[in-house]
This record gives sequence, structure tokens and C-alpha cells, in this order.
Amino acid sequence: MEDLKTKLKVQIIEALNLQDIKPEDIDDNAALFGDGGEGLGLDSIDSLELMVLMERQYHIKVEDPREGRKILTSVQSMADFIKSKQPA
Amino acid sequence: MAERVYITGVGMITAIGDDVAGNLQQLHAQKSGLGYTRYIDTVYKNVLPVGEVKHSNQSLFELAGVPIQEGLTRTTLLGLVAMREALQQAGIGDLNAVPTGFINASTVGGMCDTEKVYFDITDPEKDGSFLKFIDTLDCADCTQRIADIVGFGEHIATISTACSSSANALMFGARMIKQGLYDRMVCGGTEALTRFTLNGFNSLKNVDKQFCRPFDQQRTGLNLGEGAAYLVLESESFAKANNSRILGELSGYCNTNEAFHPTSPSPDGDGALEAMRSAMAMSGITSNDVSYINVHGTATLNNDISEGKALERLFGSQVPLFSSTKPFTGHTLAAAGAIEAIYSLLAIRQGLIFPNLNFSEQMEELQISPVTTLMENVTVNHVISNSFGFGGNNASLVISKYEG
Amino acid sequence: MKGKCYIQGMAAISPQPTFEENLFSAQLLYTDNNLLPCKEPDYKPFIPANSLRRMSRMLKIGLTTALKAITDSNLTVQGPIVTGTGKGSLQDTEKFLKEIVTYQETALNPTPFIQSTYNSVNGLIALQQKCTAYNNTFVHRGFSFENALLDSMMLLQEGSDHVLTGAFEEITAEHFYIKSRIGFWKSEQIDSRELLLHNTPGSVAGEGAAFFMLTQEPTDQSYAAINGLKLLYKPSAEKVLSTLQAFAPEVDAVITGRNGDCRFNHFYNIVEQHFDNIPHIPFKHLCGEYDTASAFGMWLGANLLKHQELPEAWFAKDQHPSKPINKILLYNHFYGEQHAFILLERV
Repeated sequence: MEDLKTKLKVQIIEALNLQDIKPEDIDDNAALFGDGGEGLGLDSIDSLELMVLMERQYHIKVEDPREGRKILTSVQSMADFIKSKQPA
Repeated sequence: MAERVYITGVGMITAIGDDVAGNLQQLHAQKSGLGYTRYIDTVYKNVLPVGEVKHSNQSLFELAGVPIQEGLTRTTLLGLVAMREALQQAGIGDLNAVPTGFINASTVGGMCDTEKVYFDITDPEKDGSFLKFIDTLDCADCTQRIADIVGFGEHIATISTACSSSANALMFGARMIKQGLYDRMVCGGTEALTRFTLNGFNSLKNVDKQFCRPFDQQRTGLNLGEGAAYLVLESESFAKANNSRILGELSGYCNTNEAFHPTSPSPDGDGALEAMRSAMAMSGITSNDVSYINVHGTATLNNDISEGKALERLFGSQVPLFSSTKPFTGHTLAAAGAIEAIYSLLAIRQGLIFPNLNFSEQMEELQISPVTTLMENVTVNHVISNSFGFGGNNASLVISKYEG
Repeated sequence: MKGKCYIQGMAAISPQPTFEENLFSAQLLYTDNNLLPCKEPDYKPFIPANSLRRMSRMLKIGLTTALKAITDSNLTVQGPIVTGTGKGSLQDTEKFLKEIVTYQETALNPTPFIQSTYNSVNGLIALQQKCTAYNNTFVHRGFSFENALLDSMMLLQEGSDHVLTGAFEEITAEHFYIKSRIGFWKSEQIDSRELLLHNTPGSVAGEGAAFFMLTQEPTDQSYAAINGLKLLYKPSAEKVLSTLQAFAPEVDAVITGRNGDCRFNHFYNIVEQHFDNIPHIPFKHLCGEYDTASAFGMWLGANLLKHQELPEAWFAKDQHPSKPINKILLYNHFYGEQHAFILLERV
């Protein structure tokens, strides 16, 4: 699980071109979206990009943007969702 | 005192008809033009519904009255069909008899045809007649081809503001008339379905796999469509001196920007509200004068909330009758503003309010719902037609009855 | 279009060092492969990192030029934004076209599609400036900037206090190749500094952005007045001459869009012969040929009117005007199809 989360962070940074951010800067539970000053301050286009990442890297398709928003709350929630979709 | 701007000719082609009469007939019959594509090469052929014009390019050449040739894209052909009808209806034989400008609108130009040969074009090993399509990719190509074939030699321009493009073309033309630059302008837009735009909107996850459901709680997105529409606009003094048949008036308009997000409107509809309010002010009408609103109503999650909120804020508990006609035609992007301006004119002239097809459940965010069945024998004096798009580009038009 | 407006602020990113200080001592940058690319500035002082990360080249060039023109004007109140571009963000269009094929239409990144839309730069400027006023984008080859200018002049006449007007264009290697297949560029490789000496078909490719803050009223800071605009679509040579005669400008210099393409030089010959006793100032050896190159020409003309000089290295000694320049005619056409006359005046 830790490996998956670290890998996800690297992939997120690459997919969204987060130039000044390192994987260790991203807290597992920090909010990815929103302007609150905390978290990464991503927007709805980033959320679409992250769904592309899930599909290309993990072959998980998120159809409904409303559902997507929940899955993409944090790195933790993304990792949980990916685990739940992978065969045990 | 600036001139009033009258509409003296209209022409169109959409998924529900090859001309204005054909469109009216299907609107009246409440028959949607949505279905599955026959002409785009896509993996979504049988998955994502579209509003496709029911003609192959070959048959469009015939409708457009031009010999089959390389280099004329579907965008151009659709535009030509609509243009010929508009000019004919306005009784314009020789375009050069009166200086006439042409303002066109397009979102992706001739992409419909260039995307089929793009990789041949970029391959130095390949040569052939596809090279005739090289310069058709940009938005000016269709405008100039149409202009050259029907004979526009004066001011020409092409506007691209995404889904509000042809509404802005109408506005620009009307303003040129009011400035006294021309007495007659032909304005509108043309859009052909492409694999590019279909995949583009699909990548935004806002294309519905079912027929689109504007203003419905269960809506999940739009269906793309194609078509073209042009309106002949004339100054009041010219129209009267020329004895033109006046169909209606373009009495108000406004263009605003959301400045909120690259692809989403503000959730409370600030831009939409301002566009409608200013267009009404220009037209000199109040809320009570609005008989019908042909809403943008794409059926995307964001548009319908934003537009609905704007309606509630502007009109309070007295929101006029409204419907989206996109379940008939699909969202025709650059052509939508002009197509729906003609539908607005038809509502006035025929005393009809068109139904918002596929609606069953009111949105939880709103207190209002659209007209769901055809209403006949209604007195329609003023219609607002909304077009809102990417990049925050909003446009509202007011079309009014001519009481001549 | 009659009516007068003033250039209160402006900025250009181009293949020359136009974005930097000390314009008049700028060097002359050139190419010998027929493609003049923009000299791009550091975007970080202009665009927040969180916005910059997603933006493609055209968006950065367009937005940054617009922001600098706004700053240069010292105007803070929002007004309409009108732009022109022939091709928009080609890089994004090409990328999305390719990804559709590579990924067989599944799991596509939306960003290139969004940025490929022609109004994306305008939308970004509005977003960045929180500007909810009128917003329009013209996309018509050599009439793109010109229609934006016409729209802006109409807005000023209709009562707007000021309008931000601009143009932007990029060239990619792929698009350079595409256009080479239909004769846009010279088939022989030339030194761009000698563009006008090569009397052969085609020109050299260029790109760039230029933005202007236009106002109803002049100030001490104004660069120039725009005093007239006339467009001609696919005119005959006779029509160009008769229009010029009817337009009848009395000017001190002609800024000419001459681009070394022997197929269309005759139009420039007509205009230059009509004004045979005054300086003819070319600019395509500086910016290359592209749909909205006339915006660069207007930027150059406005600088000349305000400062009464031209960057020394950009022109031969005898090309620098020796008398005061109070009125300029800018004449440009794009491959013989879209012709534009713009009248500029000293303030």
C-alpha cells in the first residue's frame, strides 16, 4: 500500500506537471482539490487528468465525474480505490 | 439614432431537416434527430449518440448545388446549403447589387475532412489529391469557400468563441449595421461532426450515452450535433426602401465572459445572468415581456445548474417558458447560436413553444422545469436565445416580433 | 472604419528581443532555416506557477503579452478583450489529433483539446484578470487581427472607455512542413535578414503575439492614434490602387508587409510606387510571415511614431527615416487574399 501511494504521488506530479512539488511534499490525506490554501489546489480539469491516469496506469475506468470527485479526494482515497479494484 | 436591425432571410440545415420548413415540421412533430453516426470513423459509432445531418458528403454536394470536388469540406457544404436558402428567402439574387458583409462562425473549421487525411499530409512519402485539403483545417477556409461560391466580395470575418460563436457572429453583424458600415450582413455559423470534437468532449466526460436530457436531474452530458444556419440582417431604412420581407427583429444582444474557469461556468450563473439582463435592457423589454427562452441547455452537469440559477435570479418566481432544443439537433457548437436564433424566430412567427424532449425529473438545485410538450397558438413577442461556451464566452440574443 | 482611437499601452513577443528593455539597441535575430521562432521570455513573473504548469506555448505567449500590454497602459479597470488568431494553439491541436490515434480514442487527456479551442487565450486573459466584459476572438487568416481591431474600434465608438486588442500565432515544425507542401515557404534556405532580396516564391515562417490597450482619449503616454482601417478581400491590383486613391492618406512612411514572395510582390509594388518619395519600412525579415503578422507591423509603427526612431540593428542605415514621421500607412496582405490598410498617426 505504501509503495502504491508513493508511486501514485510520482505519477500525479508527472501527469499534472507539478514542477515544484516532490512526492514527499504530498500528505496521504491532504485534499487534492480546492483553494483552501492546504493541499494541492487542483481543479476540475486536473481531476479529469487524474481519471486519465487511473485508466492508463491502472486500467480503472471512472465513468461518472460525480463518483470521480470522491475517489480523487486524496492520495489515500485513490490508493484505496485502486486496491479495491485489483484482484487480491 | 442607431438603426434597428431586421431579419429578412433565414436558412438552415440540421439533423432534423435540410431547410427551415423541414426543421419546423420536425419540431412540430416533436421528433428528435439524434441517433448514431454514419459518417464519422470512431470507436464510439454505436456508443455515443449524435445529431448528424442525414446526408453523405456526396449528397450534400447536390443539395449545395456544386459539382463534387476535392477541397470542399463537410463544414463548407453544410454552410453552403444553409446560405443558399437564406439568400433565396431574402430574395437576394446578385450579392453585389448591394454591398453585403458575411460573418461566419466555426469551432474547428474543416477538421471533419482534414482529420481523415492528416497523417497523410504530414507524411513526406505520401502524395495525392488529399493535398487539396491541406488548407481546409483552419476556420477561415469554410468562410472563404462559401463566400467565393455564392459571391461575397465585401467584408468577411470568422468568429470562434466555442459554443457562442454564431451568436457572436450575429451580434458583430448587427453592430456593423448600427455603425453604418453596411446595410446588409449575412451572419451565422457552420459545424460538422468530427472525431476530434467527439473525443474532446468525451475527454471532458460530458457526453451522454443516452439521448441528452437538458435540465433533468439524471442528465449526464450533451450529445454533439452538426448543422449550419445563416440569417440575413438588414438595417431598418434599407429593409423598408428595399421592400424586404421583414421576419423579425434582432432587438437586443450581449456578450459577457464568466472569468471563472476554462471550461465551466460559475455555479450561480453570473455571466449568463448579466448577458440576459443586458440583452433585455438593450431591447427595451422587462421580464414580463419575455414570452419564451430558448436556453443553451446542453445537459451538462454544470451548464444547466448555472443557467438555471441565472434564470431564477433574473426572473424570480416568474421564470418565462423555457426549453432547450438540443435534444432535437444535438449541440451544434459554432452553429448553435444561429440555429436557435432561427428557432426563436419560428416560435414568434408560428406561435409555438418547442418542447424540451427527454425531460422527466426536476433538478434538485432548481425550482423550475422546462416546457415538455409542444404548445401551440401562443402569442410570442420576445424570445431570448442563450449560447454559452468554453472560455467563459456567453452570449444572449433577443429576437422580437416585427409589428410593421 | 472611420473614427479614431489611441494606443495607450502595448507589448510584443516576437522572434526579436521585443519583450526586453532597451528596444532601440536590440540586436537583429535571424535564422537560416526559413523559420523564425519567438524569443520567449521567462513567464514566471507574469503567470502563477499553478497556472503555468498546464499551459502550452501559445497560451503562455499570448497571455504574457496581454498582461504586459495591460501593465504598460497603467489602466487597471477592466474592459473588453478582443483577439485575432489564424491558427490558435497548433501544438495542442496536433497533440490531440495524435493522441486520438495513439490511444485509440480512449483515456485522452482533455487539456490539449481545451487549449486547442481558438478562444482559449482570450478566456485565460479574462480569467486571469477577472474580467467579465465583452470577449471575442476572430479566426480569419490575414483578417484575424484586423477584425479584432475593427470590433475594438466599434466598441470604443459604442462607449467603451478602453479595449484590450491583440493577436497571437505560433508555428510548429509539423505545421511548417504542412504549409511547405503548398508553397508557403521558400524552397531554398535563406538568411532571414536577406528575405527581401530573394525574389522567389514563398516567404519565411514566423510567429508572435502583439497586444494593444486601445482608448477613446489620448494621454501623454499614448504611442499613436489609429485613424483608419480598410480591408479588401481578394482584390484585383486595380482595386488595391483605386482603394488607395479613395482612402487618400497623406503619410510620411509606409510600413509594408512585403515578404519576399515573388508571386504577390506586385501588390506591394502598387502601394510603394504610389508613395515613392517616402520611406518604405518592411518588417517580415523581423517576424516572418504568419496570419497575424500585421499586429507586429502595427507595434513597430506605433513605436516609430512615439519615439521617432527604429531599432538601429534592424534596418540598413538608409532605411532609417531622416525626417519626422507623423503619419504612417501600414499595408499588409496574406498570400494575396486578405489585404489591410491601417492608418497610424503621431499623438
